[in-house]
Amino acid sequence: MTLYGLEARHAPVVTLWVWYHVGGRNEVPGTTGMSHFLEHMLFKGTPLHPKGDLDKLLARYGALWNAFTSEDVTCYFETVPRERYGVALELEADRMRNALISREETEAERTVIVSEREGLENDPSFLLGEQLQAIAFNRHPYGQGVIGSKDEIKLMTRDGLYAHYRRHYAPNNAYVIVVGDASPDELVDRATQAFMPLDAEANVDPPKAPEPPQYGEKRLVVRRAGGAVPIIQIGFHTPRASDAMAPALTFLAVALAGATAGGGESASGRSSRLYRALVDTSLATDADASYNLMKDPYLFVVEATLRPGVTHDRVEKVILEELARISRDPVTDDEFARVRRQLLSATAFTTDTVTWRAWRWGSLLATGAATSLDDWYARLAAVTVDEVRAAAAATFSERKRNVGWFVPEAV
Amino acid sequence: MDVRRRTLANGLRVVVAPIPGLRSVAVLLAIEAGQWFEPAGRPGIARLCALAMLRGTTTRDAKTWADAIDALGASARLDVGSHAAVFSAQSLGDDLGALLDLMADAVIRPALAEGEVELVRAQTLAQIEEDARNTRAVAERAWRELVYPPGHPFHARAIGDAAVVRSATAEEIRGHHGQAIRPGGAVLVLAGGIDPERARAAGERAFGVWEAKDGRTKREVRSVALAAAVRRLEVVPDKTQSDVIIGWPGLPRNDPRFVAARVTNMVFAADTFASRAGHVVRDELGLAYYVFSTIGASRGQSPWTVRMGVNPQNVERAIAVALDELRKICDGQVAAEDLALAQDKLVGELDVVRESPGGVAGLVLEAELFDLGPDHFERYPRELRAVTRDQVVETARSFLPPDRHALAIAGPPLPEAA
Repeated sequence: MTLYGLEARHAPVVTLWVWYHVGGRNEVPGTTGMSHFLEHMLFKGTPLHPKGDLDKLLARYGALWNAFTSEDVTCYFETVPRERYGVALELEADRMRNALISREETEAERTVIVSEREGLENDPSFLLGEQLQAIAFNRHPYGQGVIGSKDEIKLMTRDGLYAHYRRHYAPNNAYVIVVGDASPDELVDRATQAFMPLDAEANVDPPKAPEPPQYGEKRLVVRRAGGAVPIIQIGFHTPRASDAMAPALTFLAVALAGATAGGGESASGRSSRLYRALVDTSLATDADASYNLMKDPYLFVVEATLRPGVTHDRVEKVILEELARISRDPVTDDEFARVRRQLLSATAFTTDTVTWRAWRWGSLLATGAATSLDDWYARLAAVTVDEVRAAAAATFSERKRNVGWFVPEAV
Repeated sequence: MDVRRRTLANGLRVVVAPIPGLRSVAVLLAIEAGQWFEPAGRPGIARLCALAMLRGTTTRDAKTWADAIDALGASARLDVGSHAAVFSAQSLGDDLGALLDLMADAVIRPALAEGEVELVRAQTLAQIEEDARNTRAVAERAWRELVYPPGHPFHARAIGDAAVVRSATAEEIRGHHGQAIRPGGAVLVLAGGIDPERARAAGERAFGVWEAKDGRTKREVRSVALAAAVRRLEVVPDKTQSDVIIGWPGLPRNDPRFVAARVTNMVFAADTFASRAGHVVRDELGLAYYVFSTIGASRGQSPWTVRMGVNPQNVERAIAVALDELRKICDGQVAAEDLALAQDKLVGELDVVRESPGGVAGLVLEAELFDLGPDHFERYPRELRAVTRDQVVETARSFLPPDRHALAIAGPPLPEAA
């Protein structure tokens, strides 16, 4: 296990993040959603800290705490007053190897996870995104998403979960990030003491199911009455986060849709290309573009929520024209400076919060995007006009394109 | 916490909280222009005005203003809440002066041009249409309609009523701006990596020219109480989960019982894991993914609500269980451990929230907006700790009577109605 520490002296807190290299990517059909289900079970007690103990201990200190599962990783964190750092360490080290995952609690939690899934299904954008991800990947497990299908959640067994836990939850498959109001040496030394006694497991091989090239556009339509307005999502296959093109793709997302999302109340990102082409022209209420840092090649996704009465065809055409334009013509110096400033400022905003400084660092390490916050910042700052155009040209091609339409049906 | 205040001649309070070691600064400008200050019978005007303020000024058109914000790399948004319209932003510390100039331009000198008002109107109507199939938004609308009579500032959501949005004119919006967007009662908070004197001077330079206005007509708002339990089910087609809101009209932030109300809220349902309702509904029975309650802070009776996302099969049981927990509190069944946990959590959060400039700015803003006093941060933890079991019971009985609640459910048909 590798441990990383960083000083942040502006508030009397410490944030502890434990990252496990297991997520939707490590699942096979029939067990999709297992890593996420397991994440829930890590809150259900150990022999030393029975169910409810962790919640109450952390609540008692006013902690900010949670967990999440992505395609690549499962992550647990708590931000606590600095004098409670030891408690956070003790809880995380304990549940790394000693979670009970009882049959009774597995059954009780199953309905909670179904409820989580049902809440997501209420959102048309989730429904469309899940389908788009599924058609974009023929072989790679990224096509399965994270939360799993409702049927698979219902069929998940306690023994399967426990085996998944024992296999993936061990110090040699995890790393720790700690940031806070103490010297990095002290933070890391204390974490080392907490995790050192834990036994390693056999190393887990990364999944080997590379996605073969796509040879032409794929399309899908989701028709539901659950949404009132049409949505378009377009996903293009992209290289992984460790690829040299990753900073330019990150830059590209900001050029297209700004650094912060936000609906009508947001005043930033309005100089972006898609906002100008879609929102200022009354074609859409919202436009977004994202390039997520991932371990394996994933998707650059453009999404627009259409104004009522506007057709998908029309908006899709405008989006594709904008993508072709940025692939063809270099951005102007003014635009380049503006986007660069947004990107670098957004990095500072994130890292000025202790919790999110640790999250950002951990996500860079998880995916191999960079070795440190400074390394990533330097890579973003070094992006050139030519690299942005080249990244767009390499990405926005018909062969790599997956187009999804959400079509609201009449009630 | 290092907090420095100055009130400008026009009445605007500028409050600076330097946080050494940070690169950015969080800015909150709260103007008393939320729903509470909206013209009676015109819900939605405040938000239309706020959104139009972001679309160009008399010195910069919408494109130029947006380009300038993005050139700073700043994030910025303007939200209308129950009490205030809050312009929130973040920039690098060195850019604070330029950011405040842009914000002041939008606040003091918005163009509110016809074309931009039309765009904002169309966007708002599209959002209202989208919300009609959003179970959370539908539940929120239905709940407000159950609790607050027509004409009450909180009867509608801040987005307002579609008829009002359709009929609003640019002239009406300009009139609202002239009335409501004023420095008196407004607070500008600057928290982060800044030199306090330079930050204060930048605030004064940008907003010192904002002209004070004569006193405004006080809106008469009658107090609200629920005489019985009321309930509304709104079927939203093609959904799998129901969104449930159980709630009551709350109490003003300045009410001396508000601190006890915050503790009561935490004991009952504020936190999915640390509070009683969440513990039983999610942890013990597995009926919902999320269960939490919030108590609004405003000059009036903001909503005090419990929200849950529940499968239709489990809706009635989840509601019954949540109300049972409340009944136990009202019956005096508040374990010392539950009370201590709630107090510890609320006090502990005051430290943890200081991890971000936005968190510090939010703490400062509440204290200033509701005149909680310069010693608030020193007093507040003690006040939380001083709340007794009897006060929790009395607060629950007074403000959360289990048999006089308003219940809104939005989602698929419930089993008995299917």
